Amino acid sequence: MQEFLEFTLGGIAVGMIYAAVALSLVLIWRGTRVLNYSQGGMAMFTTYIAWVVIRHTGNYWLGFVVALAAGLVLGAVLERTVVRPTEGKGPLNSVIVTIGLLILIEGVAGIIFGGQYRSFPPAFSVTGLKIGSVALGISPTDVFTAVAVLGAAVLLALVFRFTAVGLRLRATAFSQNVARLLGVRIGRVLTLGWALAGLFGALAGVLVTPSTFLYPNSMDAIFVLGFTAAVIGGLDSPVGAVVGGVLLGVILSYAGGYIGSELVLVYGLVILALVLMIRPEGLFSAAKTRRV
Amino acid sequence: MTDAPALAVEDIVAGYGGVPVLDGVSVSARPGTITAVLGANGAGKTTLLRAISGFVRPRSGRVLVGDTDLARRRPEDIARAGVAHVPEGQGVITELTVEENLRVGALATRDRAGRVAALNDAYRRFPLLAERKRRPAATLSGGERQILVIARALMSAPRVLLLDEPSLGLAPRMVTQVMELIRQLRDDVGLTVLLVEQNARSALGIADTGLVLNLGKVVAEAEASTLAADVGLRRHYLGF
Repeated sequence: MQEFLEFTLGGIAVGMIYAAVALSLVLIWRGTRVLNYSQGGMAMFTTYIAWVVIRHTGNYWLGFVVALAAGLVLGAVLERTVVRPTEGKGPLNSVIVTIGLLILIEGVAGIIFGGQYRSFPPAFSVTGLKIGSVALGISPTDVFTAVAVLGAAVLLALVFRFTAVGLRLRATAFSQNVARLLGVRIGRVLTLGWALAGLFGALAGVLVTPSTFLYPNSMDAIFVLGFTAAVIGGLDSPVGAVVGGVLLGVILSYAGGYIGSELVLVYGLVILALVLMIRPEGLFSAAKTRRV
Repeated sequence: MTDAPALAVEDIVAGYGGVPVLDGVSVSARPGTITAVLGANGAGKTTLLRAISGFVRPRSGRVLVGDTDLARRRPEDIARAGVAHVPEGQGVITELTVEENLRVGALATRDRAGRVAALNDAYRRFPLLAERKRRPAATLSGGERQILVIARALMSAPRVLLLDEPSLGLAPRMVTQVMELIRQLRDDVGLTVLLVEQNARSALGIADTGLVLNLGKVVAEAEASTLAADVGLRRHYLGF
């Protein structure tokens, strides 16, 4: 029973990381039908930036905030320069460009920072929490992870629902041409979408890197699992991204705990294959034909 | 009343791919008038509206609203310059509510106070929308959607309104209602309207001027009453 509790709570905590990555992917996919293969690479790079700041100032939270800001900027810059020319030109172009970006970012990170594994500090302590004598299997840092991602997701949902910016984002995502007819500057909206995706990716990066260590490929596996979570939830649905992330985290936690933990990534890929075979549209998207 | 046209399209050549659909089309609309654009399917009526609103890039020619040539600009910039285009098929954003659809209409061109005023105006003029404001736009009937997209187009206080086949798919009674609405907008607000219609009879019933397109060229242009009276023209191009 104790094990079950630990696996469940631990799974939720890790699942929030997948949810954050999934959210970034959904943010971009919804608006542009582009799958951003470089999302993990972007997150790794912003984590390196945080690492540099923390090394030089000794201040974790400064590094945290700088990483998030860097995520915003990186997302916006990449959309405007590299991805914008692929918009409207067919899915293969954006696939090639974002994969190319991934390779480029990982290469540049290797050149600037070197390939060795670096340690990255967690936000709080990593000692397991207990209620009385029951070990919960999660630490204060895990709780912070869950709260941070959930909080950011809720904030995003509020922005979507209640602000003019959110309305622009949604209108552009649902019906780009109609939005243009109504005068919405969709270029700026798409840049914003990428900036927000960069933000969530950066958040995932700083939250997960303490356990994976920091190196140019550190976010590759997380990206795959985040992508799986997005597919489970339905690539169109932000709620699906969070639910998918938590679900995946918990399932993998059980699989890793009860079967064996060396093959977690493999389990993840198996789940991805199953979802794509059985219900490729995911849990939350109503499959519908879109016409403009 | 000024003599300068609210909208002047000069010699537009435009099309998709090799063959031009519009082969030197000119239209002039005086402010506060309804101009009916008529003709058979494939004559270029929809392409004309898209060339004006920017979804089709004219190869040559000018589109003048006021003094500014808007041809070859991006659709969102043309919309911001005061040209509101209600496309064929309406373009309701079904995933949003009625109110959200309306609000998107004002986002680009009005400041915060203007947006609130525009929304209140819309509900005053279209109580039907006020009653349904929180409902998903997908739940509206065809006629209600047509009203919604016209109301949405008005949210930006446009100078020119382009309507593409507003009667399409509507029951006859709804068609009459929509046409009446368009007439009222011209009378009350002084809106300049370019009205593309297959239903030439209804369109000429409210229009001031009409022009007939055939194979990408203007074959007739006159006061609406003159066109309606020309039986030969009607039979040949307009089907009634």
